[in-house]
Amino acid sequence: MNKLNRTMSIVTAVLSLSVISVLGLMSFLGEKKFWSSDENRQLTAFPEPSFNDMYNGSWAKQLDSYATDHFTDRSKWVYAKNRMQVELSESIVNGVYVGSERLLDTEVSGQDKKVFSDNISIINAFEKNYDGTTYFVAVPSSTGVYGDILPSNFISRSDSQRINELYEMLSNNIRRIDAYNILKMMKDNYIFYRNDTKWTSYGAYCVYKTVIQKLGFLPTSYDKYSIEHVSDSFRGDLYNRTLYDEVKADILDIYNYPEGADVVSCERILNDGSFSEGEIYDRSRLASSDMYSMYLGENVPLLRIKTSVQNDKRLLVIKDSYADCFIPFLIQHYSEITAVSPDQLDRPLGDIININDYSQTLFLFGINNMDEKMALEKITERI
Amino acid sequence: MVYSSLMFIYAFLPAALLLFYLTPKRFREEVLLIESMAFCFLISLYFLFFMAAYSFVNYLVGHIIGKLRKNEKLAAVPLTLGIIFDLIMIFGFRTKYFAWLHDMLHAPEGFYPVGISFFTLAAIGTLIDIYKGRVKADKSIVRYFLYIMFFPRLIMGPLLRYGVFTKALDSRRESLTNIGIGMSLFIKGLAKKVIAADNLYMLYSAVRSSDVDSLSAATAWIGITAYVFCLYFTLSGFADMGTGIAYCFGLKFPQSFNYPLLSSRIKYFAARWQSQVVQWIRRYITKPLYGVCTKKWIREIVFVGGWTLFGFWYTVTPNGAIWGLLMGIALIIENHILQRKTMDFTGIIYTFLVVIFCAVFLSGDSLGFSVQYLFAMIGGNGVIADEQFFYLVKSYIVLILITLYASTSLFRNMIVRSGKGNIRNTVAVVSTFAALAALIICTALISYSGSSEMLLINL
Repeated sequence: MNKLNRTMSIVTAVLSLSVISVLGLMSFLGEKKFWSSDENRQLTAFPEPSFNDMYNGSWAKQLDSYATDHFTDRSKWVYAKNRMQVELSESIVNGVYVGSERLLDTEVSGQDKKVFSDNISIINAFEKNYDGTTYFVAVPSSTGVYGDILPSNFISRSDSQRINELYEMLSNNIRRIDAYNILKMMKDNYIFYRNDTKWTSYGAYCVYKTVIQKLGFLPTSYDKYSIEHVSDSFRGDLYNRTLYDEVKADILDIYNYPEGADVVSCERILNDGSFSEGEIYDRSRLASSDMYSMYLGENVPLLRIKTSVQNDKRLLVIKDSYADCFIPFLIQHYSEITAVSPDQLDRPLGDIININDYSQTLFLFGINNMDEKMALEKITERI
Repeated sequence: MVYSSLMFIYAFLPAALLLFYLTPKRFREEVLLIESMAFCFLISLYFLFFMAAYSFVNYLVGHIIGKLRKNEKLAAVPLTLGIIFDLIMIFGFRTKYFAWLHDMLHAPEGFYPVGISFFTLAAIGTLIDIYKGRVKADKSIVRYFLYIMFFPRLIMGPLLRYGVFTKALDSRRESLTNIGIGMSLFIKGLAKKVIAADNLYMLYSAVRSSDVDSLSAATAWIGITAYVFCLYFTLSGFADMGTGIAYCFGLKFPQSFNYPLLSSRIKYFAARWQSQVVQWIRRYITKPLYGVCTKKWIREIVFVGGWTLFGFWYTVTPNGAIWGLLMGIALIIENHILQRKTMDFTGIIYTFLVVIFCAVFLSGDSLGFSVQYLFAMIGGNGVIADEQFFYLVKSYIVLILITLYASTSLFRNMIVRSGKGNIRNTVAVVSTFAALAALIICTALISYSGSSEMLLINL
């Protein structure tokens, strides 16, 4: 080895070791955050040492993800990764397709057939014990509607097939409402967020028009609303997974109906029965990392909305986050709406309310959430 | 924990180096053992127990063989038992037919001893060597434990004989120069794994996710080529990372891969692909058998059998064995037909085609699948090139070009052959900064999930 090579080896040693130790020390000594606003998720905490966890390796695994989550300037690294990934390989980053127009989820759901059918049998059991009428709306994700821009080997995944499958498994007494074809027809409009899997308020409105007719009312026509753009910088769950910011940010809308009925009260009911006053549109959430929670505010087990409508009609909505921007359209028709998020419940629903106080129940779920465990069984226990 | 993780690169490695160099020279072997145990612990405590128990059993058996060695027949008893024990371990954990073993050992669910394919071979080889008197059963338990657990070779690192390993320990030379060489080797391996192998894996799985009955010929070709390159970059990447880290501690280990994909004969490919495992099979299995068999054709069958075993060692399925069988047969045929030296270029092409053809069997889940895949490769599905092919080429073209270039020795040859000193000097200076850039790029690429786990084959 000649002299220059030896010198350069020493230079390599010094430089690479200093890069490693500087970045390592910065991560080690840096401030530890609990929440990543870019990724909109909780960061892994330092694992509590316990013999069992160490024995089977889960302690080490958690330590690993702790180190990963608290690596110095994580968001910037992840951003750089995603930009490089798009150049090096397909435009798919952490399971999200990065298009020029929009981000799309490519992770194939429908893997867990057991949970899927379990959830459906819970809904069927609910209907059996319920005196009123039950309705079901399954909402496709943006991939279900815009899937045709994905590369050909991803097309096999189809939300419409899965919705059909679901509707066939529901008991005959449940009234199914088709959202998929309405949305598919409207696909040239702004009905889905570009950076999120969920529909926009306008998408929800298009489906609302059909749903409310099935529920027995006339829909409010579009021109009655005055629409307020409350934010044009919304980036949703698909952004959180990719941190890809070349796609245009999304607009969050509030549909005001000045001549319509007002919200009289909006109670947020927690599992222990305590309640606090909430809002249909909680604008303070716009400053948080989860802007979408502006609709109905932060997720709570139960939200009871009372309106100035004088018809004594009460509606129970069992829902996931897809319903958050949908429910405001219903206020014009019911004197009381109770929205239940099963994934937040830690006790049987029957302990908190009597479902037979409601003459109608609407299930509204994203089709992709139907094969996830979401404590749905809480809605049928003890009734 | 794997080498290609943030936790290893930015926490474990610097801490291990610091501790090592702060310790006085005579205790450094003990420090290496403690660090290796810490490495095992960071996989799981059970893994540490497992490794300690495993090393201890083999250490003990080795000593018994050493004691009884004067009486060859008597010594054969512990040797056989030891080999059976090691074989049960490797089959018990690599196949799913030994659930009782998991229960008996109280293994946590989903437990897989990382690198078991390598350290069992190492242990068996040592037992045989002691029996044959090639090495003495080492008194130092620290060295033997270190041999089995040494963290730079635990995960698919280079497979070394005990004699080679102790020689490397004896001639340990810690210096800043060696750290520099080691770090650049480590980063080279990291880049192979993180930049090349992981993205090639995405390409391969994109092809595999579509139906084999409707695969177009061009797509099938690009898929299997991606598989071969991915396998090469994964295995050689891990070997390079291991060798590089060992270098940082002043230990010089031999190379496992020597640019096999650009060989002008299958023979050369075979000699450059995972050479230590191939050598292991020759030393402990085929060579002793050659001594017994005198006829040439029987020796050839033994040779093919050795390769079949090598293939089986990769996947522990019949498919891997078929790959080995085909490679062995191809080598024999080549030996008979090709006496003269072939042209370099045609040689490279034909070797590559044979390697690709055989790899179809290594990659498939079943023989039927592989045959169907081959059928698709010759255009049996009636489509030569489809939309998917063009999409994949368009998406991966940068990666394909980089990896094609990186898998050949063209760059190295250019430096070696150019007599001009200034080119060499430029390369020496530039490569330092290239290594740093690669380190940064790899860090970014693993930043999201924190590590790039092993794919394709669990060894």
